[in-house]
Parts: sequence; C-alpha cells; structure tokens
Amino acid sequence: MSDLLQIIDREGNKVGTVPRVKKEVFLNMYRAMVRTRAFDDRCMKLQRTGKVGFSVPNRGIEAVSVGAAAALDISKDWVAPHYRDFGIMLYHGVSPERMMDTMFGNEADSAVGRQMPVHFSFRKPLNFLSISSPLGTQVPQAVGIAMAMKTRGEDGAVLTTFGDGSTSASGFHSGMNWAGVFNSPTVFLCQNNQWAISCPSEQQTKSSSYAIKGEAYGVPGVRVDGNDVLAMYRAVSQAVKRARAGDGPTLIEAVTFRMGGHSTSDDPTKYVDPELVTYWEQRDPIVRFSAFLHAEGILNEAADATLREEAKDEMLTAARAAEAKPVPVLTSVFEDVFEETPAHLKKQSAFCVDHYSSRGEGVNEKGEFPL
Amino acid sequence: MSNLEFPLPDIGEGVHEGEIVQWLIPEGGAVAEDDPVVEIMTDKATVEIPSPGTGVIAKHLFGAGEVANVGDVIFIISSDGAVADSPSSAPEVAEEEKPVSAPVVVEKTAPADLPAVTRREDGKVLAAPATRRLARELGVDLTTIRGSGPNGRIRPEDVRTQQSAPPAVPTTPTAPTAPAAVVPTFAATSGAHEEERTPFRGIRRKTAEAMSRSKFTAPHFSLIEEVDCTDLVDIRNRAKVASEKYGIKVTYMPYIMKAAAIALMEYPQLNAMLDEEAQEVVVKKYVNLGIAVDTPNGLMVPVVKDVHLKGLLQISAELAEVAGRAREGKAKAEDFQGSTFTISNAGNIGGILATPIINFPEVAIMGVHSMRKMPRCIGDDIVARQIMNLSISIDHRLVDGADGARFMVRMRELLEDPALMLL
Ligand SMILES: Cc1ncc(C[n+]2csc(CCOP(=O)(O)OP(=O)(O)O)c2C)c(N)n1
Ligand SMILES: [Mg+2]
Repeated sequence: MSDLLQIIDREGNKVGTVPRVKKEVFLNMYRAMVRTRAFDDRCMKLQRTGKVGFSVPNRGIEAVSVGAAAALDISKDWVAPHYRDFGIMLYHGVSPERMMDTMFGNEADSAVGRQMPVHFSFRKPLNFLSISSPLGTQVPQAVGIAMAMKTRGEDGAVLTTFGDGSTSASGFHSGMNWAGVFNSPTVFLCQNNQWAISCPSEQQTKSSSYAIKGEAYGVPGVRVDGNDVLAMYRAVSQAVKRARAGDGPTLIEAVTFRMGGHSTSDDPTKYVDPELVTYWEQRDPIVRFSAFLHAEGILNEAADATLREEAKDEMLTAARAAEAKPVPVLTSVFEDVFEETPAHLKKQSAFCVDHYSSRGEGVNEKGEFPL
Repeated sequence: MSNLEFPLPDIGEGVHEGEIVQWLIPEGGAVAEDDPVVEIMTDKATVEIPSPGTGVIAKHLFGAGEVANVGDVIFIISSDGAVADSPSSAPEVAEEEKPVSAPVVVEKTAPADLPAVTRREDGKVLAAPATRRLARELGVDLTTIRGSGPNGRIRPEDVRTQQSAPPAVPTTPTAPTAPAAVVPTFAATSGAHEEERTPFRGIRRKTAEAMSRSKFTAPHFSLIEEVDCTDLVDIRNRAKVASEKYGIKVTYMPYIMKAAAIALMEYPQLNAMLDEEAQEVVVKKYVNLGIAVDTPNGLMVPVVKDVHLKGLLQISAELAEVAGRAREGKAKAEDFQGSTFTISNAGNIGGILATPIINFPEVAIMGVHSMRKMPRCIGDDIVARQIMNLSISIDHRLVDGADGARFMVRMRELLEDPALMLL
C-alpha cells in the first residue's frame, strides 16, 4: 500500500510509462497548472488588498486537480469538488473571469453573491457541483449522482475530491460504503496535502495511509505522487475506465503538500516546519513537469516564459473585469430558487425594496437596489 | 498628482485590528503594483500587504508596533497623473523563478529523512493555534518548551507538562518560594549600553491592558493594618496536626480566607462591582475568593467558590485542589472565573506593605504580607509577637475610607482571636 505511482521523478526524468496522449494534452495540462498558480496568486493579492474577502491557497497541489481533470470526459462525467481545486475548472475551460465573478460576488457571479468567495458552481462547460464548506458532504452527493447515471444506463463517472482531513467526516464513510455495496461509478480522490488546517496527518488517522481505508468498504485504493501530473492522469484515467466498465469505484490518495496557508485567515508559519516546506519546494509539480516537457522537446524556454507571463496577465485582466461589475441587485435574493417567483416571495421582495427606499438606501445609478 | 489611500482590510475572517510589524517600503520609496509594502500582524496571522497601485509611498500613517483598526488608512500612495490615469499600464514586475535546486537526495515519498528540528534559527516555534491558546491560558512561554511532535512541533501535552514543572503555587504567606538564586554575570566591557527590544504582546500585553483599565477606571485608595497572629500561629499548628489524618494540609491562607468571607458578609459593599453599562451597583451575597499568586509563569488567580459556606478543612482542600490543577495545567476555565474579591499574597517574597491593583471589576483586593517575630508592647512589657501586615486597595467610587477601615479592623479582630470565627 505504500507503493506510490510515479511517472516522472522530481527532476522530470521518466521513471514509469508515459501516457500516450497528444502533445497538446501535455501542453494543456501544463498551461492549466501554470494558470492555476497565477489565479491563486492573484486571489491572494486581491484578498490582501481588501478587494475580495477570502481565498484558499492552491499552491503546490496543481498537479492533483489538473491531472484528474484531464482524465475526465466532461460531456458525460461530473465533478463533486473540494474547495482546493481551481485546476479542474481552469483545465476544462471555465474562464478566469467567471471564477473571479464568484470571488467578487458580483452580479455576473453564477452563485449570484449567495456564496463565499471560492465556493464555485458551474453547469457549463462542465457539471461542477457547488463547493460547500461542510467537509465531506460532496462525497455521498457524488455517489448519488453516479447511482443515477448507472440506473439510467449512462456510462458517465463522477469524480469527487476531498482532503485528508475530510476522511474523518461522516460523508466520506457513508459515501464510500454505498459506492462499495452498490458498485457506483465514482472516483474518490483524496488530496492528501498533509494538513487539515493546522492538524497534521499523524493526528488525523491511525491508518497506514488514506488509500488503505478503501479496504474497509471493498473499494480498491491506490497511492499516487500528487506532484506528478502524469501519474495523477494515469491513476484517474484507470479509475474512470473501471467506473465506465461497471467495475465500480476506486479510492485514489494523491500525496502532495499544501504550500500556502489553509486559507487567507491562516498563518502556516506558526505550525509548519520551514524545512518541510523546502523539502516540498524541491518537488514542485510545475517545475518538474516543465523539466519533463523541455526534455521531451515539447516546450522551450521562450514558450514557457511567454506562457507564464500570459497566465499572469490573464488573471489580472479577469480580476479587473470582475471588480468593475456591480453587485447583484437586492431583488435577486428572492429569485432563482423557483422557476416562477411565488406570491409570498414577491411580497417579501416588494417589502424589502419599500423598506430600503423609504430609508433612502441602496439605490444605484440604474435605479436598482444593490445588496 | 493623485493620491491613493489604502485602508487596512479585514485580512482574516472577522479581524478588527492589525499591528504594523514593519514597513517594507519607506516613505518616499517607489512601489509597483503588487510589491509588498507592509507586514501586518493580526490575531490570526502575519501577512504581507501588496501595493494596490504604482507610485511613491507618500505617507505611513502608523509606525511599526502601532495598531490600526480595520478601515483605518495605513498608507498613501501618490502617483503622477500619467500613471494614475492608466494603472493597467503599470509594469508588472516579473516574478523571479525559483532556481531548481541541484538534485542530491534520493526520491522519497515521505520526508522521513528530515532531521528532527527542535528550535528554529529565527526563534519561531511550531505549534498549532489551539496549542498556542492553551499556552496563553496557562501562561506558558512556548519558546521555553521542547516540542515532542514531528520536527519539534509543540503539542498540548508539552505545554501541560511544562506548566506543571514550576514549583508549587505558594498558598501560605509564611512559606515563601525562594526565587532561584541568580548568579550575576559582569560584562567584560563597559559602555556598550546594550538594549534589548521585544514585542509588547501576548500575556504581558493582556496583563497591561487589565491593569491599566483597573487603575485608570477605579480611583484606588489603600489602607494597611497590622495583625498580631501569635494565637493564630498556635491554633494553626494544632490544626495542622489534627488535619493530617484527613490527608489535608492546613496553611494560614484558609484562615485569612475564612476571616475575609465573614468580614465581607458583614461589609458587603467591598464584595461588589459597578455595572457601568446598567449604572447599577451589584452587591454579591456570596463570597468567591480569587487567590492571586506569583508563579514563574506569571500571575495566576485560581478561585475558591462559596467560601462563606465552607469550613476550614474544606477551604484548605479546595484551595489545594484548584491551585494544584492550575499547577498541573489541568485547570478548567471556570477555575479562574467568578471571583468576587481577591487576595494577593505576592508579599510573601518580600516587602512589608503594598498597594495592590484591584482585580477589576471587583471593588477591593487584599494583600497578605510576611509574618515576622517582632517586639510589641503587651501592657508594659515588651514581648515577641508574630506580626503580619494586611493591605487593601479599594475602589473609592463605591466604598469610602471609613468602611474600608471598618473592614480591616474586623479582619484584625478575627485573625487575632480566631475563636471569633466560630460564632
Ligand atoms: C464538517 C466540518 N467540520 C469542520 C469544518 C472546518 N474546516 C474547514 S476546512 C477544514 C480542514 C479540512 O482539511 P482537509 O479535508 O485535509 O482539506 P484541506 O483544507 O487540507 O484541503 C476544517 C476542519 C468544516 N468546514 N466542516
Ligand atoms: Mg488536507
């Protein structure tokens, strides 16, 4: 169980069989990883300057999300995500501006300002369930969706992601158990980034690994080097294949390291040994994959530098665009849940508008009531 | 010229203030957008704030070490018209790529080969926030602990062990804890005028805040009374022997506490507080005594509840219990809560009188001082007597001098003739 699937080592050397995919797929993965880091950096700066309220550092875990995303066919597969998963959306073409709309909670936000920053949800271009803060709730939801696919005779799979800490939440156990008993086409991806806020793995579980927990539910488990995007791609591809073939669920443990704080409210220097950070810096997933691509002649220095610059500009532009959009109008609070707003909500909406207008509050230039 | 004012944002969730740790760009220094400008410490984290624009730092509105509220403008950037009009044209400073370090270590899946670090060079310690909070509550200095967790991380057990390490909390004024002898070291050179600066925060700052609030809110006056404890010494010595069979060690403190409880029930205006918000005086009809003691970890005030209802044996046992719990780091929050009047015996170290600061919002605090054999006149004879001073500081807003004096006279009566406590 302690075997770790690895395809490229930390210097980018091949140590396993490289997946046979087109060069473009490699490049797309690489670009998504670089863009994930750029998006993350931009969000941190936006939070530190008070422009957005909150963010969740993704530095160091880019290969986990991107490698997994690349193994999905979004015309039929769904994602029930963890919050530290920017790369899944960016790989599959959710525009950074739409993601920034959620960060700012502006009127274009797909969650219409109802959610905290980072709690993305998208129906297009992929079915990406709303991230929810209570840990592990997405796991049984993923199993339910997978069961529906199976019942309908579709051959989709559902990828659900969660952290090492989330394996202590009840959702993990009920979801895994269901999936095992009913053979649901679910891929369980545990992002073992070594921490649940400040709680280290050795205080999280007495199991010898997270992957081994699958045994309790009759679900095969694999451990993967989570900083090796190709190993992630291989492991999730095989799990998706098993799911489509009706062979049931797989539990994948991606061993990685959270290089930033838990969130923008956290100070990891209070509890993370800097030597550990240095150790993992030397295993940076982007550096490693870049070295591989250079060695394979898929990417050269100049193209790499351009790609990184473009990613930074892209995120800055997206942030400026989202910042410029107005906040959602007040009446939107009463919309969305029902296809047609029922009478009692219409009444409450009118009351609310009356109340604020009688106090001379909240009207914008368009005569609307912003939140 | 156009100015961009930067208000301190809420950089955590629900943060209200932040301390300026250091300015990374001086006044007059040039900044590009995203350059780190200042390091801010909140109760959650220390973070770098990037510049929201490009230009020159025109002004720092707070100095290092000062605390700004969220929303306060902390710095101003001035930019010339051209740059201000087109902030998007500000050159992005290219991020330096981290050099890929030369491979030396054989690939491992877990950093099991890392050396176990116990102390970091920068003096920082590794501990989770819950552990830090425990240390704050118990008054333990994390930098003095060796962590037993991976890489020297300090665990809650380590804090508790450390907390139980110092000597027993003294509970009797006659048994002062001798401070460890300090061997003086003489500097070989002279005239260096060395100074050491440490940040003013943590327990020290909390204590400072509490003391300032008390001293600047409550106008204190102090009184000293002398007590002849000769009879008390005799009675206590007998009680000490008699109580041995219960496994309880009776010290002088329970007698002082019992006397205080009786006197406080008789003079309840000293067992009170001022509810400033409601503009009401709250007189407590029960006596919970906080016992302030000096420990190597700082001031601690465990509380013995309902002293007015309890006998000496029970008071002795409970005092030993709360003090013991505090010592062993097993104290619960309620062990430190609910006192209505505080007794301080810091005087056991030395000094014959004190003007203690009230444990606000209580109205009075009594200091107990060392007992010494002194010559005193009994009739026309000079005899050796066991003499102890009691001091008291009182909030003059609620209590006048005469009442304070009556209370102290009553304390003296009860302690000079302990049989009165039986009435
Ligand atoms: C049910 C539940 N319990 C506790 C929390 C508070 N909480 C938020 S994130 C977190 C840590 C989760 O760690 P992990 O699952 O490893 O994910 P990571 O943050 O490391 O990506 C905790 C405890 C929560 N959101 N939900
Ligand atoms: Mg984690």
